[in-house]
Amino acid sequence: MQNADAFNPSLMREPKDSYLTNGYSIKSWLLTKDHKRIALMYLISISVFFLMGGLYAAAIRLELLTPNTDLLQSATYNKAFTQHGILMIFFFLIPSIPATLGNFLLPLMIGAKDLALPRINLLSLYLYWIGGILTLYALMQGGVDTGWTFYTPYSTTFSNSYVMAVGLGIFINGFSSILTGLNFIVTIHTMRAPGMTWFRLPLFVWAHYATSLVMILGTPVVAITVLLLAIERVVRVGIFDPAIGGDPILFQHLFWFYSHPAVYIMILPGMGVISEVISNFSRKKIFGYEFIAFSSIAIAVFGFLVWGHHMFVSGQSIYAGLVFSFLTMVVAVPSAIKVFNWTATMYKGSISYDTPMLYAIGFLGLFLVGGLTGLFLGSVGLTVHLTDTYFVVAHFHYVMVGGQVIAYLAGIHYWWPKMTGKMYSEFWGKVSAMLVFIGFNLTFFPQFILGYQGMPRRYASYPAEFQVLNIFSTAGASVLGVGLLMPVVYLTHSIFAGKPAGDNPWMLPGLEWRCQSPPTTYNFEEQPVVTWEAYEFGEENGLDIEEARRSAGSPVTV
Amino acid sequence: MSTHADAHDHHHHEPGLQHQFENMGQQEESVSIGMWMFLVQEIMFFGGLFTAYMVFRWRYPMAFAEGSNHLDAFWGGLNTIVLIVSSLTMALTVYYAQKGMRNMQVIMIALTMLFGTVFLGVKAIEYTDKYNNGLIPVAGWNKKSTGAEVAEKAQAFAFPWEIRTEAADAGHGEKKPYINPRGDFQWNYGHKLVEQAEKGGYLTADEKIHYYSNGVFDPFKFQEKVRLFYFIYFVMTGLHALHMVVGLLLMAWLLWKAWLGTFSALYYSPVEMSGLYWHFVDIVWIFLFPLLYLLGRHFIH
Amino acid sequence: MQTDWIPLFPESASSFSWQIDALYFYLIGISVAFMIPIVAAIFWFVVRYREREKFATPEEIHGSIVLETVWSIIPFIISMTIFLGGAVVYYTQYRMPDDAMQVYVVGKQWMWKIQHETGQREINQLHVPVNTKVKLTMTTEDVLHDFSIPAFRTKADVVPGRYTYLWFEATKPGTYHLFCAEYCGLNHSGMIGSVVVLEQDDFERWLQGNAASQTPVEQGRDLFENKLGCASCHAGGSGQRGAVLENIYGKEVKFVGGGTAIVNDEYLRNSILNPSSQVVEGYQPIMPTFKGQVTEEQLMALVAYIKSLSGVDASATAPSAPAAPAPAPANNMGSNSNQGGR
Repeated sequence: MQNADAFNPSLMREPKDSYLTNGYSIKSWLLTKDHKRIALMYLISISVFFLMGGLYAAAIRLELLTPNTDLLQSATYNKAFTQHGILMIFFFLIPSIPATLGNFLLPLMIGAKDLALPRINLLSLYLYWIGGILTLYALMQGGVDTGWTFYTPYSTTFSNSYVMAVGLGIFINGFSSILTGLNFIVTIHTMRAPGMTWFRLPLFVWAHYATSLVMILGTPVVAITVLLLAIERVVRVGIFDPAIGGDPILFQHLFWFYSHPAVYIMILPGMGVISEVISNFSRKKIFGYEFIAFSSIAIAVFGFLVWGHHMFVSGQSIYAGLVFSFLTMVVAVPSAIKVFNWTATMYKGSISYDTPMLYAIGFLGLFLVGGLTGLFLGSVGLTVHLTDTYFVVAHFHYVMVGGQVIAYLAGIHYWWPKMTGKMYSEFWGKVSAMLVFIGFNLTFFPQFILGYQGMPRRYASYPAEFQVLNIFSTAGASVLGVGLLMPVVYLTHSIFAGKPAGDNPWMLPGLEWRCQSPPTTYNFEEQPVVTWEAYEFGEENGLDIEEARRSAGSPVTV
Repeated sequence: MSTHADAHDHHHHEPGLQHQFENMGQQEESVSIGMWMFLVQEIMFFGGLFTAYMVFRWRYPMAFAEGSNHLDAFWGGLNTIVLIVSSLTMALTVYYAQKGMRNMQVIMIALTMLFGTVFLGVKAIEYTDKYNNGLIPVAGWNKKSTGAEVAEKAQAFAFPWEIRTEAADAGHGEKKPYINPRGDFQWNYGHKLVEQAEKGGYLTADEKIHYYSNGVFDPFKFQEKVRLFYFIYFVMTGLHALHMVVGLLLMAWLLWKAWLGTFSALYYSPVEMSGLYWHFVDIVWIFLFPLLYLLGRHFIH
Repeated sequence: MQTDWIPLFPESASSFSWQIDALYFYLIGISVAFMIPIVAAIFWFVVRYREREKFATPEEIHGSIVLETVWSIIPFIISMTIFLGGAVVYYTQYRMPDDAMQVYVVGKQWMWKIQHETGQREINQLHVPVNTKVKLTMTTEDVLHDFSIPAFRTKADVVPGRYTYLWFEATKPGTYHLFCAEYCGLNHSGMIGSVVVLEQDDFERWLQGNAASQTPVEQGRDLFENKLGCASCHAGGSGQRGAVLENIYGKEVKFVGGGTAIVNDEYLRNSILNPSSQVVEGYQPIMPTFKGQVTEEQLMALVAYIKSLSGVDASATAPSAPAAPAPAPANNMGSNSNQGGR
């Protein structure tokens, strides 16, 4: 039986019953209302999409080893980068942390039994699958070659590819995103346990609240845009084709109105993870809690005002360009504040070098580079030279891969013991973290240089003088690829043969650590009553540290 | 460890309480916030279309006015009244649900559904009229005719107090043969408003370029701009009608539940939430009607 | 500003490129200035404050309003300087001068068609004189493209249905990359060329005709590979969209819709001026016409070059087949001999 004192589960033990054992049939998984099962199904699905997006990336980098189009024909290359973008952005990056870690942890962190609307959660999953299958089907049939940005009139009138099918897949997937955001907002408002006030919430929750605001407000706009694109393609009439008086720039405005905030949907949850990891692995309260919380909201709000910075050379007026540049500078400041706060958190902490912390430290460096190069691109005069070159490619990979993917990996490794009840191999965890960090920098740093030299993006062939840096980049990509594949192996292995982790292997104060690992279906035996602030380490918060130190190393089966 | 059922039995006495909630208040608050969030995203969804409308109306106001004149403001106005009344019956449904008066609830829901159906019926009439007059913006989707039949009067309604001038009557009341062998979009109603604007000097910069070829008014180019108006009209009203259909399905479910006596003072949140959705669909129409149907009316001087 | 000594740095060849470079270095400076202390702090903390006892509980530090204010205000001020610097440079780049030499640019899939005010036309190449302001008025026939000259540090999209503008003043003679920088479909990476900056008198000479004296075959090759962009479809290797031109002189070809012809001088000339009138079986009718863009002299040079690909001397002629639908060789290009024979 579970320990009578539910807040002191410090013994490493392997529980017999958990959400994983509560029903083994397919039906119990496909018709589940359990947020944890849904999170797991999301985890597997997005990993599949990540793998496919990664294969396209491999094709791209291999082709770019040589200046000519010798490995792939231009037509194939164009599809490769388009599909790499679509799969990675819509089917991996946007859902990743919210749908897996957010779904799993939000109720645990606030002391609830489940999300507020579990059936809506299941619907989100199904919409994700339907959108994904439709998109994959279109990809199998021949794919799209418009770039993930679907600029018109190429995508409405000139492209000979499956734009409509992929567009519909993205449309359906968009509603998956909207419903997830809706669910989180409701949950955070109404499902908090007694005593869990807003300012006692973990910053992971604040981050997801901000993200959900963006999901709800922004995604419908891209939904209607993609719908109009599909209609225009099918019936050959519409508002984006200049031949009938339509406006291709209108498409860009509508598209980027969502797609810029979308990048904040991607990074805000990652920042939430980093707040958790740095604070917990320094065993120190996060520095400037309120500032981090409010800067998340500020990023979400200001993120809606800067979409024009994707259109500086598109033909919008100089004055529009200046306004968007100014606002872009403003939105950079909250992110800077966060980086300073995270660093300050480590001051006088007790820092352990576990894998999640290594990823988090890597995040700090890489996100810093990514964010700073964002300033380069936000500065109008400079960006005219840099737009549509590899500088942009390098920038967004630094923030999306160096930022978001690394934060995602940090989160997966951090909460793995909670989700599965097992520990993975620390050695292999550290090795892959190093490989990812080194491989990533080798892949993308040369691209900044290539960009300034003028190498345009989406080029299958390029002038020979760009080859050397491209070779470095591809070499790095192979290292990065290995580093990213390794977790698949050792994490899967840990499920079968990993050491039992115990309910709270690192003795952390968060509510999610005060329940079983893996949790039971309804999470907590009794609804917790919260009487402590966030990130308070130490004995007075019910953590039996001495006991933990004594019993570390002797697992008990109950 | 024991199964979860034991630990949570004590919650199941409240009717309709979902397992994840501690009490009814929490459930109602959650569902309410959820519905409002859903409506917010619906606003953003329609927002994209309103943006497109704004951009093109700003550029080509005369084309929009001409197109708008040939939407029937009578039917549109009727639909507006129908929806407003249906919102009243919906609000009454919520009231009677709160009071637990089953029969009145059922009557009110049935009335709401009736009005919703009337709305859709009127839309069908309007769309059919467009079909018959070559005003559906997609080539091939209009009635194909070689002109053998004489078309019905092209519908354009002027309120009784509007001053009727030749400009207003252009194309009204005359029986013109409808010749459209391929079912194309056709604009046969001239461009009196453009001529007026030319004389009055208030064509926009875009209009001065895009209605003309080599300095001469180009009816084909103008037609393409009017076609933009009709495209936006059909997408906006079509999307709205789709939401109306969903609303009717929701009402059907609500009717069934109300018939079973599910709702009372203790539990009427689904009625309230359905009401929110219905009112939202109504409000969207309140915006659509003037923007689409009432353009250029004041130009009839 | 001298930047040639910097490795991996692009050439700087316009009057305002130094401004962009200056902004770039300023931003690099700021980035380094931020990164060094932060990265140093991270390393220092990670080592100095590593865990000494498992599950330790260090002293709580809630935060510091002073620090938060400082590190909000200072980055904000710095970002405003970046904004202002960028705005000034942007103004310079995108404010069109009134006294510039006018050039017209039309992008189309997948080539740049350029015309000077004096009537001179170019494809994928832009000749300009040094130290002269040049303003480009641009549009596109089909999809979005982008006229990008990295060495001048400027670019602008071309949008269907309207005109967009670009200006520069080249400061150094030389040949610089011209790229299309907005994805436009299949041959986006092939839509490249060069901007050739010439000294004033060289430019005058160029305006008047041939810049250098070349044999017809050499001139033909230059036109084929560089100036007219023929190579992008006719020399692309296996899977190229244009007909193979090696070793075809004197051979018989079959057309879509029936009819044959022997490949001779007339045939080649007609293929360039009126390609859609005779499409060889197995190929799509996508070759654009070059009527109005090549002089008779250039046509002769092209024919000479293509003949040389069959190892045939420029002076040799192949017999004409009786069924060949060859147009009458007109001396003025304006004749609209629309044979339409298929």
